[in-house]
Amino acid sequence: MKPASVEYHKATSIADAVDVLSSTEDEDAKVLAGGQSLVPMLSMRLARPSVLVDINGLTDLDYIRRDGDWLSIGALTRSRAVEKSAAVRDAAPLLSEAMGFVGHATIRNRGTIGGSVAHADPAAEAPAVLCALDAELVITGPAGARTVGANDFFHGFLTTAVGPDEMLTEIRVPVLPAGTGCAVEELARRHGDFAMVAVFAAVTVGDDGRCTDARLALAGTNPTPVRAREAEAVLVGSGLTAETIAQAAQAAAGVTNSANDIHAPAEYRRDMASVLTRRALRRAASDANVVV
Amino acid sequence: MAEQRTASGPIGARIRRTEDPRLLAGQARYLDDIRLPGMLEGAVLRSPYPHARILRIDVSRARELPGVFDVITGAEVRELAAPQPVIWQQIPDQRMPESYALPTDRVRYVGEAVVAVAAVDRYVAEDALELIDIEYEPLPVAATLDEALAEDAPRLYDQWPDNKMGQHTFTRGNVDEAFTQADVVLRETLYYGRQMGLPLETRGCIASWDTYTNQLDLWLSTQGAHVNRDLMGEALRKPVHEIRVRVPDVGGGFGNKLDFYIEEVLASLMSRRTGRPVKIIEDRVESFVANAHSREQRMEVELAATSDGVITGIRGTVWAVLGGRLSGAACGPPWLSAAVMAGPYKVPNVDVSVVGVFTNRSPIGSYRGWGQPEATLVYERLVELLARKLGLDRNEVRRKNFPAPEEFPFPSTVFTYDSGRYAECLDLCLSGVEKNGWKERQAAARAEGRSVGIGYGFHVECTAFGPSRVLNAVGVQHSGFGQSVVRIDSTGRVTVYTGEVPMGQGIQTALAQVCAQSLGVPIEDVTVIAGDTDSCPYMGYGTGGSRAAALGGGAIIRAAEKLKKQIRDIGAHLLETAPEDLVIENGRVAVSGAPARSVSMAEIGNAAYRSVGKLPAGQTPTLEEREVMDPEDLAWAYGCTAVLVEVDRETGAVKVLDHLIAHDCGTVINPMIVEGQIHGGVAQSIGGALLEELVYGEDGQIQTTTFMDYLVPTATDMPPMQALHMETPAVHIPGGIKGVGEAGTIAVPAAIANAVDDALDDLDVTVTAIPITPPRLLAKIRAAQEQQS
Repeated sequence: MKPASVEYHKATSIADAVDVLSSTEDEDAKVLAGGQSLVPMLSMRLARPSVLVDINGLTDLDYIRRDGDWLSIGALTRSRAVEKSAAVRDAAPLLSEAMGFVGHATIRNRGTIGGSVAHADPAAEAPAVLCALDAELVITGPAGARTVGANDFFHGFLTTAVGPDEMLTEIRVPVLPAGTGCAVEELARRHGDFAMVAVFAAVTVGDDGRCTDARLALAGTNPTPVRAREAEAVLVGSGLTAETIAQAAQAAAGVTNSANDIHAPAEYRRDMASVLTRRALRRAASDANVVV
Repeated sequence: MAEQRTASGPIGARIRRTEDPRLLAGQARYLDDIRLPGMLEGAVLRSPYPHARILRIDVSRARELPGVFDVITGAEVRELAAPQPVIWQQIPDQRMPESYALPTDRVRYVGEAVVAVAAVDRYVAEDALELIDIEYEPLPVAATLDEALAEDAPRLYDQWPDNKMGQHTFTRGNVDEAFTQADVVLRETLYYGRQMGLPLETRGCIASWDTYTNQLDLWLSTQGAHVNRDLMGEALRKPVHEIRVRVPDVGGGFGNKLDFYIEEVLASLMSRRTGRPVKIIEDRVESFVANAHSREQRMEVELAATSDGVITGIRGTVWAVLGGRLSGAACGPPWLSAAVMAGPYKVPNVDVSVVGVFTNRSPIGSYRGWGQPEATLVYERLVELLARKLGLDRNEVRRKNFPAPEEFPFPSTVFTYDSGRYAECLDLCLSGVEKNGWKERQAAARAEGRSVGIGYGFHVECTAFGPSRVLNAVGVQHSGFGQSVVRIDSTGRVTVYTGEVPMGQGIQTALAQVCAQSLGVPIEDVTVIAGDTDSCPYMGYGTGGSRAAALGGGAIIRAAEKLKKQIRDIGAHLLETAPEDLVIENGRVAVSGAPARSVSMAEIGNAAYRSVGKLPAGQTPTLEEREVMDPEDLAWAYGCTAVLVEVDRETGAVKVLDHLIAHDCGTVINPMIVEGQIHGGVAQSIGGALLEELVYGEDGQIQTTTFMDYLVPTATDMPPMQALHMETPAVHIPGGIKGVGEAGTIAVPAAIANAVDDALDDLDVTVTAIPITPPRLLAKIRAAQEQQS
């Protein structure tokens, strides 16, 4: 468990980091942020980049800002800072709750939200919750910055829209409208583990008690985080009754597409998607002051 | 926590562990903290195939890598070393594959070592591993028990007609008659998953072979200094006086650090070849294939009983899923499972076999519990299933089948239990459950629609392992006695040299308590030295089998008795009185009834070493006694565990809400250490019951080689724990001490299985596989629900 030899570059600016990323032959430079996934992969020699670009000195990527209807989070912001931020809790309480499920406090103190998103583990919380929130991800490369919606960002298992000469620099989250209730339900073998299944739910309820908007994202069930669009459609316009919630839960199970692994067979994950969706929606409805 | 007992002396006192301050302050010295001048670091190339022929090994590129000092292959090992010793040969005519530290022609499991490298550091050593070119010819794989037992199974060893390693059958009475005449017969097949002990400090060794003197200095992270010296001598064909084993602080050893491995042989050979010390430390990923696996067995059992719940017979087979070669412990743990299958119960008719089966998996070796958690799963499941079938109270069925205290020594199937008050222990457990309001908690939870259950597990624990003649009689190729030297120095301070090995269990504190009490000196005046074959006395086996307190302590008690005679003789001479008039208390030797007439232990020590003229005529200078503790028989501890669990019927997840054990380990030396042993054991067995499993794919590849895949319990998985102590003295051990090292571990999985059944009693679910994972339990729940509707 000792890494192969690797060149280390401490980035002095975003431009400098991008410069190294784009000038590396074989396009195999890796960005080192919190190191919570990359360092073990290096130690097990599962990742063998020729260059490590350490961005921990780029403090201008470490921020949480409210800009009107948007919440902007620098990619280098530690997960613990996101979890504890009053601005995040105010703008997107679903994100605050989700961050509490990321590993343990020591992992969150070091790991960054940008690192988790860029690593794109399908069972991780950050990618899925950003899909639920319709977040936008800012990617910076030699040609400048571009923005990709979270739901278009994850291309497959550990693969994203970020090119080899680019890096994730910012996460932008639209502020949730008033009347929105949130809930995260996660089933993991132990607290702090990657999710076997996690469901991130946000439901917005109008004055008439009907659901005007619903977002449901799943982690752990597919090669990427997924939105349960059909389930959302069941809810929008409905009164968030036990029946519609059960229907939506059923529909959510339909989007799952996982393989058997050591922790659970595929059908178990599918069933749990339904159970957890129901539990999450009931809590989210209650959070929006709807009595189910 | 536990019932308060009052101790008049050090034995029984709740004394803080003297080991802890330095451990907690980061001042411990573990194996990796040792750096010898010129030392090299080794790494081992392991087989990626579960079963393959080795056609060609080319190490030339690795040898050329700058910084590489040695690369050793199986062919070279064969020239320099003997086959790896196997001390557990208790199965009659057991098949003994001749295995060297490295194979030459064939690999039989993923992770089997093939080539070793020594280099300037571990980084370079791992770089060198990547330059080794091995051509394998993959062979058909027997990845599971059933595949290995199949008629047309691929054979792991060509010289034998099948994959069976051996069979041993234990019989008593007339089991066929018992089953013919039984009112009720239960049949179950129980599966215990593959698990392992995972010390925080992985295994490691440093070998330094002085090629001029031929002296081999070894530092091992081990539980047995002397046994490993002897086995090393055997493996290297080297006289043992040329080998010294030292044991630095050990960061946990759960049985698997007792077994003898290959890395220490490889480090020694590479040190001999390079003339430099060589360190090999198993890394975490390697530990999941190279450290002994345990537990995995399928147990097909039947129980015969009368309609009022009296057990009349047990029969069945323990199928032991062994690996691709034999560890030093061979088929020992499954053998013990079969041997103690009757547990604490009077079972007049027994016919239980153990069959060892080679498979393309890592070798099976020692792990805390050593076959007993598996056996307990059988007998404690069966006793509750019997009660369920007959509509009787489960604990009444237990009580009905216990031997009474006056029936001890109680001859069970293979072993004789020395002493016990089983029914009283059950009552103590039940009163704890009552007092803690579990039944009310269960009722309240159920009223809210939650599925909460209570389960029990009564276990017997083989401790004080072990009496050499008992070990030899059952086929262990090694002795088991303990030995201690107690020395009083010229300042009156006491040093104990023990053969037992500390591994974090607090044995130095416990032995100091025993010595302080036995000699009548303050505990601060006692130092315990352990873990060095040059300074500490020879000990059989190793510190496993819950033995150190009993055998180490027993030897100290006897040595102290002899030493006290000398102290009295010297004291009597100094005080001009008769030895029988003296009492030794708190480090002073005083005339009974006249405490002013006394001398200190320092004065005694001074007389014994420096002012020898003050000694009585004929008294030999120095104050030292040596005592061997080789008891006539084992000491059997026991306990009754209760757990309160909650089951989520929609997910199959189980949470342990509360835990309680009433137990009896004979004389309690230090309740705090006993509780610590229990807490650690409970944590391991909650992991074992619910989380931990070494999983192999159909292709024979292991899939659990990190802590993300092999799940050990964390703080959030732990319930409150409580221990209630009983003290029934051991019969064959001075001081009545029994062992406690495995008490927390043995019964928890059975108790959790019973509690899960209880939580789901309306569904009539029967848990049959450990660990109880959410998908496994949910499948059971769904099947039961379908059955009902």
